[in-house]
Amino acid sequence: MLYVENLSKSLPNGRVLLDRVSFSVKPGEFVGILGASGAGKSLTLRCVLGLTRPDSGRARLVTSNGTEFDLTGASGRRLREARRRMGVIFQGFHLVKRLRVLDNVMIGRLGEISPWRSWFYGFTDREAAGAFEALRCVKMESCAERVTGTLSGGEMQRVAIARAMFQQPELFLADEPIASLDPSNSLAIMKLLRPLAAATPVVGVFHQPEMTARFCTRVIAIKHGRIIYDGAPELSHAKLEEIYGNELMEVLRPAPVAPAPAPSPEPAHSAGLELAKLA
Amino acid sequence: MTTAAGLASERAGGWRRFRRPFLAALVLGALVWWSAALCRVSLDELGPALVKGIEVGGFFLPPDWRALPELLQPALVTMLLAAVATPLGLALSIGFGLAGARNLAPEWLRMPARWLIGIERALPELITLLLLVAALGIGPFPGVMALAIGSIGMLGKLIADAIEEIDPRVLESVESVGATRWQTIRHAVLPEIMPGLLANTIFRFEVNVRSSVLLGAAGAGGIGFELNKAMSMLEYERAMTAILVTLALVFGAERLSDFLRRRVLDGGKLK
Repeated sequence: MLYVENLSKSLPNGRVLLDRVSFSVKPGEFVGILGASGAGKSLTLRCVLGLTRPDSGRARLVTSNGTEFDLTGASGRRLREARRRMGVIFQGFHLVKRLRVLDNVMIGRLGEISPWRSWFYGFTDREAAGAFEALRCVKMESCAERVTGTLSGGEMQRVAIARAMFQQPELFLADEPIASLDPSNSLAIMKLLRPLAAATPVVGVFHQPEMTARFCTRVIAIKHGRIIYDGAPELSHAKLEEIYGNELMEVLRPAPVAPAPAPSPEPAHSAGLELAKLA
Repeated sequence: MTTAAGLASERAGGWRRFRRPFLAALVLGALVWWSAALCRVSLDELGPALVKGIEVGGFFLPPDWRALPELLQPALVTMLLAAVATPLGLALSIGFGLAGARNLAPEWLRMPARWLIGIERALPELITLLLLVAALGIGPFPGVMALAIGSIGMLGKLIADAIEEIDPRVLESVESVGATRWQTIRHAVLPEIMPGLLANTIFRFEVNVRSSVLLGAAGAGGIGFELNKAMSMLEYERAMTAILVTLALVFGAERLSDFLRRRVLDGGKLK
């Protein structure tokens, strides 16, 4: 369970970045956080992770065995213990490019093993087998030995998910996991996240309301650092207009990132084909 | 202005266009002439010196090949000095590099580390050696230490710069799983800088072989010491052999370094 209570943060010049952001996440939830750029979505996640410290308010993580972690006040060893229990799905290009895919997945367990062992011995065969299993879950086991920097964006994103899965966390945090992907890859990633959420809650920052409407169980919208919507994933057009303002058109019709596929009368169908190839 | 008329009117300036380069050349020429006069450099001496030089050059020929077997061991010593000093210097440089990187070290550690690296780079190895000889006495050990310390200025700076270029989000994503700072260094920082680090270290080995000849002449032993000894005992044919051995040694080290570096960089490239 994640409890976020009255997170506030402003810049020294007085500009408010977060304004009393509060929400909690229960098991089984797949929460999508939406908002225009600069609204404070990623900053909220960073506060939960202890990467940025809020001016006031706090975030707590209560694990399944009842241990409670103060995420906004902790530092040093206590903060590392808390982070170990949260699997962060960063954008794929945050992986260590020169390591093999398998090594990147095993990084997920670094918090569990002693620094001495990780320095001088590295990972055990059992950990390697577990990481390989995680790669199998995201259909990337054939790339385990490849240098991570040689993968495509969609492949790296899958590896990032495998890393978070291998961590076996109490909560997944996804920071714009599909922001740099083309529509078919985005769909594939969302289809991976959905079943994860059934076992372990997922909180993700997204830019595509049509994706959150389809896959999330709940949507939180942030505008100017304040939560303006928290509820069912399907949003009315008026609500979207309120959330995105003049960015709305961009959000509803995202520019294709990948080399544009031949225009087909039924885009969803081609995405399905892409998925079939992945499976 | 880049119109044709503008260009034409600028060109119409006549000799004024040449005034600035002309004045600069005049000032520079005067400076060089003045320096030469101060150091008593005189072209009049060049003619006789050339004649004398050719005469002396004759003393060096033919090289004394009988001296070759006893020069091979000092040559090996020179090579080994560099071979010991390079990894030692690398270890010191990694320490200074980590301490001097903005994204890893706190400011109170980074500033002195960067300063020491800068001072070291400004300090010629020969001076380091003379200081170390004063402390440790003559022999190969101060030579190794001088070369190792000499590597910090170059390798330490390159390592610190390479670390600072790593995308901060990569390090953040490793720390977000609960890894310690040292684990992040081991599993993200070192892998990211490794190919460049190896290539620079191999290049530094080549530089160290060259410096090791020079330091040898100043008392660290090896082929440089033999050359210096032969020269001061007026055994010019023997000195010539030592020079040829040195050339072979340095050239060999260069080829080896080129070959290894190409291998390392090709292997580390992200295809």
